[in-house]
Amino acid sequence: MSGTWMSTRAWLLMTPLLAVMIAVIGWPMVQTVGLSFTDAKLVGTAGTFVGLDNYARMLASSNFQRTLVTTVWFAVVSVGAEMMLGVLAALLLNQEFRGRTALRALMILPWALPTVVNATLWRLIYNPEYGALNAALTQIGLLDAYRSWLGEPGSALTALIVADCWKNFPLVALIALAALQAVPRDITAASLVDGAGPFNRFRFVILPYLAGPLVVALVLRTIEAFKVFDIIWVMTRGGPANSTRTLSILVYQEAFSFQRAGSGASLALIVTLLVTLLALAYAALVRKTAGRAF
Amino acid sequence: MSALDIIGVRKTYGEIETLKGIDIALESGEFLVLLGSSGCGKSTLLNIIAGLAEASGGDVRIGGRSVLAAHPKDRDIAMVFQSYALYPNLSVHRNIGFGLEMRKVPAAERDRAVREVAKLLQIEALLDRKPSQLSGGQRQRVAIGRALVRKPQVFLFDEPLSNLDAKLRMEMRTELKRLHQMLKTTMVYVTHDQIEAMTLATRIAVMRDGRIEQLGTPEEIYNRPATLYVATFVGAPPMNLLDTVADGGRLVLGDNAALPLPQAWKDRVRDGRRLVLGIRPEALQLDAAAGPAISATVEVVELTGPELVVSASIGRQRIMACLPPRSRIAAGQRLTFAVEEDAMHLFDAESGLRIA
Repeated sequence: MSGTWMSTRAWLLMTPLLAVMIAVIGWPMVQTVGLSFTDAKLVGTAGTFVGLDNYARMLASSNFQRTLVTTVWFAVVSVGAEMMLGVLAALLLNQEFRGRTALRALMILPWALPTVVNATLWRLIYNPEYGALNAALTQIGLLDAYRSWLGEPGSALTALIVADCWKNFPLVALIALAALQAVPRDITAASLVDGAGPFNRFRFVILPYLAGPLVVALVLRTIEAFKVFDIIWVMTRGGPANSTRTLSILVYQEAFSFQRAGSGASLALIVTLLVTLLALAYAALVRKTAGRAF
Repeated sequence: MSALDIIGVRKTYGEIETLKGIDIALESGEFLVLLGSSGCGKSTLLNIIAGLAEASGGDVRIGGRSVLAAHPKDRDIAMVFQSYALYPNLSVHRNIGFGLEMRKVPAAERDRAVREVAKLLQIEALLDRKPSQLSGGQRQRVAIGRALVRKPQVFLFDEPLSNLDAKLRMEMRTELKRLHQMLKTTMVYVTHDQIEAMTLATRIAVMRDGRIEQLGTPEEIYNRPATLYVATFVGAPPMNLLDTVADGGRLVLGDNAALPLPQAWKDRVRDGRRLVLGIRPEALQLDAAAGPAISATVEVVELTGPELVVSASIGRQRIMACLPPRSRIAAGQRLTFAVEEDAMHLFDAESGLRIA
């Protein structure tokens, strides 16, 4: 009796939220699906039904394929580097030394900055005329002449990855640091008495406690990196010569720059599908790690 | 040659001195228990022996060799921790053999050693399991196995039974004693449990505030406690401590109650000196002929099963007695307790030291 009453009340309380969610997410989603089967433009005619044409064209286009490769490269390299840097920073900040608390607080700073601010900051650093990177590299003699780091197709993506890493490794470090503090002192002490060196200690004592939280960080970061838009939009807008164009940028260009709402919608749904698949694969990984660790 | 020498070991954290000069020499095969309440420095001392904490002064020698500069792995010690400290993702087999694995002992030899120890501890059937699949008692056996397999000169135990429930703790205690009798190795064992100390130790060091209050065999600690602190720490229920004043060959307990001052102390205690008389609850008898007697009024009677614990008052002071369970005693009753002269302990009220 009270069960039905409770569930009625629960639904009643959730209705406003559900209404808002349907209005701002559900409805646009349905619209997008509908749009993706048409050749609609952003302005003008409503478009006619073209079936799966948009999907077929997008998947077959070299633009999409190249962009997918760029996105995967961006995600793998930046997340990989973030994980390594993050764990390294966490291991360092887990040591006892003077000023540790201050340094821990300082480390969070890049992550706390809004992405746009971070992107602007790095644009200044990479500036071809007065950028700090050029100045530093020429002054120590590694570089003969100033370069346009973001203006050359060969270096732009790497420069972006560095900027993205700098912003996001603190999140990984924070998660890893919390995990490190959960490693029981006794086990560390036991491994010292047993004669485990730093490498074996990391492998047998620290890693079991680190693995679970790190997988969570990995999931969060890969999905975010796969959808990356803002940092690239502020720094390069996908250029030069589309060398830093990721899937989200491509969706934006298709739908808004080229005003092809229909094919833009189909592309957006393809990206959504890819990210969903990624999330499902990771969810399985999280379950597996959680089941195995202890 | 002694197995373990602790010489003037000190430890300071900034201004605070947690170990104020500890001296213990341990013969090979001894079982030393460091006994004390939390914060007395017993675990710090154990960690210094293990090399997990640095001494601020003094020396630690194992087998005659100073080890203070040596890494824990090079000290020829093994340690068992309160929390078991097993490696969570390794099997029982690898947990036990981990120290040997790190020392690059060949796999076949390692396997033989692990199986031998597992057999000794009756955990052969568990070798393929992970620590998470074991009960608390089994985990502690694995932790002990990990120490045994290395055959070190000195075993260190840091409250190894505290995480077990009461019944299991007793079983493991007996098990540890059996192991020690069989292996005859040198052991240092930290605990705050006086029963563990009494039952396991060949010698007990009662510690308090970074000092050794008394170092002696369990019998010495129990029968001749050197200070009031040791007297109350060892024994349950604790020793009765009665404020008293020496007066004309008597120990006045107030309210007309008094006991004759035992012959042995006659010439050492002047009249008017404030003293504390210690009598163990189990030393009080109902047989008036057994020795000097005092009267008391019974307040509470508790039957624990093997004995009857009687709380009684002598004037304003309280006294507890452990009597045979069949004694017919009721609250409000007036009782006369007899106590043998050599069951009486006398301490100076000011210094808390035993009057020898």
